[in-house]
Order: sequence, then C-alpha cells, then structure tokens
Amino acid sequence: MPKQIAIYGKGGIGKSSTASNVAAACADEGYRVTIIGCDPKSDSSITLLRGRRIPTIMDLMREGMDIKEEDIVFNGYKGVKCVEIGGPEPGIGCAGRGIIVAISLLKKISKAIEDTDLVIYDVPGDIVCGGFVAPVKKGLVNEAYVLTSGEYMPLYAANNICKGLSRLEMTLNGVICNSRGAPNEENIVSEFAKEIGSQLLAFIPKDVLVQTCEREGFSVIENAPDSNIAGVYRKLARSIMTRNEGKIPVPLDDARLRELTRI
Amino acid sequence: MPVKQKEPLIMHPRPSSIVAALYTLRDLDTDVVILHGPPGCCFKHARLLEEDGMRVVTTSLDESGFVFGGHDSLVEVLEKVIERFKPKRIGIVGTCASMIIGEELHEAVTQVQPDVPVIEVEVHAGYRDNTKGVIMALESALACRIISEAEFERQKALLKEATMVEKRHGAASKEYLAPSRGDLKFKVAGRLLELIKEGKKGLNILNAKKETAFMFADINLAVDEAAKKFGSRIVNMANLDENVGLPKNRRNAREIREELTQKGMELHHIIGGLDEYPIAGNTASRIIGEKYQDFDFAVITGVPHALPMDNIKNMELFSITNGPRQVAPLKEMGHQHVVVEIDLHPKTLGVSHIVESEFGATLREMSRDA
Repeated sequence: MPKQIAIYGKGGIGKSSTASNVAAACADEGYRVTIIGCDPKSDSSITLLRGRRIPTIMDLMREGMDIKEEDIVFNGYKGVKCVEIGGPEPGIGCAGRGIIVAISLLKKISKAIEDTDLVIYDVPGDIVCGGFVAPVKKGLVNEAYVLTSGEYMPLYAANNICKGLSRLEMTLNGVICNSRGAPNEENIVSEFAKEIGSQLLAFIPKDVLVQTCEREGFSVIENAPDSNIAGVYRKLARSIMTRNEGKIPVPLDDARLRELTRI
Repeated sequence: MPVKQKEPLIMHPRPSSIVAALYTLRDLDTDVVILHGPPGCCFKHARLLEEDGMRVVTTSLDESGFVFGGHDSLVEVLEKVIERFKPKRIGIVGTCASMIIGEELHEAVTQVQPDVPVIEVEVHAGYRDNTKGVIMALESALACRIISEAEFERQKALLKEATMVEKRHGAASKEYLAPSRGDLKFKVAGRLLELIKEGKKGLNILNAKKETAFMFADINLAVDEAAKKFGSRIVNMANLDENVGLPKNRRNAREIREELTQKGMELHHIIGGLDEYPIAGNTASRIIGEKYQDFDFAVITGVPHALPMDNIKNMELFSITNGPRQVAPLKEMGHQHVVVEIDLHPKTLGVSHIVESEFGATLREMSRDA
C-alpha cells in the first residue's frame, strides 16, 4: 500500500507550495508520486505542470462526461501524477459534496492512488464541513502533517486541526514550520509540536525563490534544484518517506497557545 | 473522451432511490432499517414497509443536526434499535441531507460494534434512475456476504433492463407525463366480456413487479373465471417462477401460485420470476410468436409496457397498470384499453394472499349479471 498523506494548515500558509515541492523531491529520488488537489481553487499541481491548468474532476462531471482515469490524471514533473478535484465558483453550490463525489469516483476508477509509492492530498486550509475530510473518512489518508508558521493565527489553526484529527482518531505524523520570519519562530513551533505530542519535521526558511519559481509555473526542485531551499524540501521529503510513526495529537488550550507565541 | 449523451429533461417527480433501497433491504429480510436523515424523509414508504414486518426508524436530523453533524444521533438510534428490537440484520440508509453534509454511516457502526450484520447504504434521492438505490443496497449486501456474487450480477442485469423499460415506454419516457385514471373500468370490463362471450381467443398475462402481483393476479383470476363461465379459450401466463430471486420474491411467487391453483386457474406458461418483470415480457413475446400469434385479444397486468408489441400488435389489448402516469405511454404503444388500479401497491404490503382488485371485482360482478 502506498504512503497516503494529507497536509493541513491555515489557508495561505504554503500547503500547496510544500506539497508540490515534496512531490517533486520524491520524484527526483525515484518514487512514484500522485498529488490530489482537493481545493476548489484547483491550484495544487500547477507548479508540477509548468503552469498548465488541467481539467478538474468536477469540470468534467458538470459537462456530463463519462470519466475515465486518463481524463483526470495528468503526468507532471518526472511523472508525478496530478489530479485536481475542483469545485463550484465561490458562493455557489456545495464544494464539500464535490469532494465526497470525486473521492468516491477516484476510489472506483483510479489506479493512480493505489499503484504508487506516495499519494499527497492537498486539502483546503479550512475544513469547513464534512466533505473536506472525505479523504480521511473514506480511508484514503493514513498520515497527516500540519503546516504552520510561528505566528499566533496559523498556530491557532494548526491546533484546531489537531482537535479535528484527534476526533477522527487520525494520527499526526509531524509538524512542518513554513517560516514567515516571526521572532524565535523555530523554537515556538518546535515547542508546539512537542506539547501536542508530535515533533518538528522541517523548518522551511522564508525564501523569495519559492514565489519566483511559482510565478513561472515551476517548483524550486525543478527550477532551482541547487538552491538551499530545494535542499530543505529534499530533506523533508526524505523524512516523510522514511518515517512512519505517528500519534493522535493532544490539542492545547487557548491560554497555553497564546503563551507559547510569546516565548 | 466520450461525452455522455445529455439525458432529456423529465419534470414529473419519479420514484426515489432511497425508497428503492428500503424495499431492497426488505427483500433481503432485514429486520430494522435506520434512515439517517430528517424525520419526514420517506415517511409514507417507511410507514408502509412496517406492514411487511420491517421496522423503519429515523435519526430525525434537524437544523442543528445539519449544521453540527448527526453522528451522535445515529449512534444513539443504533444502540436503541439493538436494545429494543434485537434484530438479526440491520440496515442503515442515507438521505439527501445526511449525504450532502458528508455523514459517514460506517463510523457509527464502528463505534457501536453490533454483533449482527449491518448493511450500510450511502444513498440519496438525486439519482436519475431509482434503480441506483437497489444496486447500492445490493452492493452492500454483497460486501456483507448476504447475497452471492452471481445473484448480485443477475439483479444488476435485471435492473439495467428495468431502467431501459422505463426509458422506452415508462415513466422516464417523456418530458412530462400527466397522471390519468385511465379508462372506465365498467366500460373496459364490458368490452372484455363481449369478446369472451363471442368465443374469441385470448391471452391472460401477469407480468407484475414483486408483491404487486398479489393484486394484479386477482385480475387474471377474474378473467380466467369469466372465460371458464362462457367456455372461451384463454391461455394464462405469469411471472411466478418460485425458484429465482431474493427470498421474499420466491416466497410470494409460491404463495400466489398455490392460491391460483387452489382456485382452479391453470398457468400454461411461467415466463419468469417476480423480479424478472423487465425481461419476462420478452419470454412471453417469444412464446406468443411461436404459438399464439392468431389470438384475438390479450389482457396484460402489472408492467404491460415491458411486453414488446411485435407479436401482439394485431390483438385488442387490455392493460392494467398501477401507474397513473403510465396511461399515456401505453395508449401511445397501441394498447386500446388502459385501466389503472389506483394505490395498488400499499394494499399488497404485509399480505400473503391475493387481494381483491377493483377491475377484478367489476369483471366478476358484470360476468355474474351477464
């Protein structure tokens, strides 16, 4: 069975950048990787596809297509299989139901989520309803990672996600810090990870190179393979692929969370 | 990439997949079904199914359930059901509301850990063909090893045919079908008796869906009685094979057959089982082609539109349906007389004997006076 992971975190914290760079780094190491974008914005795999937008499962469903695997799975950087679930325009319909329907379809028709070494589910920042945890509930995710910076709001979101994970009895396999340049950031996130019963897997420094590459439609792994930041992603990718111990997280209370961000 | 042909619009409401799943669970001898959804969902059928001895309860999701999820309610009802009814087989059926908010039926089962099989059906009513609800229920039954792979495949093929029958000449054949009470029973019975008295040769065909045969058979019985009284030649055919289908369908076929035999009606041809109504018409058509093409009239009860017209188009056709929206399509097919037994289905739940029909009663009364 492949390693099936989901990366959670506050919206805008860098989940898609992290997911696509980890996917590219794993592909470099020879792993077969599949990335499933679960955000209605459908922008998870764009940097693995040189900026190209692929048709989403929901787009095809709306047009009444008889969907086959080859219609929704696209080869990106070094053979990374890219799938975008997509969804309705903001404010219309029900994006959560879209994810449920797409996940059932994927389970039924897709080899890309079985016949592979790593599946990454890039889930939206806010798990606003039942549909957004469909990959976990349908048994397609066996490891969860939380991405946060050292600032209060992203940590608050990360802690909330831990509440959700513990309710779902889902293990947390590590915390990743995507730095926003907050003071004492690595210590704060490391301490947070420890207190919820996990550990800090990687500290990704703030680097404008990530944005520059993304603007061009690339991951840093592809466009700046020798950069420091590429090295950080490679290290993270290796640690995801080699470790597998996880624990159901114990969320902190709000007072402790506030205290933490002051250390 | 193959583009599915856009399905034509159909505006009249049609049978629900959730209800279809409920009836399937009954056919699988499920003791209690929990509807996970709002209290009013499937009210009428949930009530009717109790006539057949299956308990149907609901988790009664309300506004707060929609917002906060209904997991706890489902756990509570599941525990209550086990305690109160001591069922040997439980079903849990989804609804539109619970499925849209992403309720996971299996989570409650995992938490409660009942020691009897639980058939979970994650169904809602938003499928174009209600047979989808049957297939989903059967898939879960297959996963619980309650039915065999062979029976599952057999049912799936039948349901595909059933869907096609409805698309060709049934409730899914038109953008809008106005309900109709059909022709006057008095007039139709009069014409039928006229033919019988003239000594015309007639076919008397029962092709009914499952338990509805309990009432449709009464009409075929009345036709047989009239034919006997006036010495007319009638050939009887029925989809009452008791060796196929789910347990309940076999049981019902046997019960009806025994009663017909006991009442002196001979069945000349068995054209299939009670769940084979979508294909039994083809068998009947083949037999008619071989032996009875020169017959003068045919009475077809149950699902008359599943009988191909090829070998009966020169006969005077009397069809009896329980679908008010089925009248127009049958007339269009060329059936001269279409009679509706209104609200037939509810009267055939919880019974093990033939139930009197209005048309059968009319025919008997007029035949007595003739």
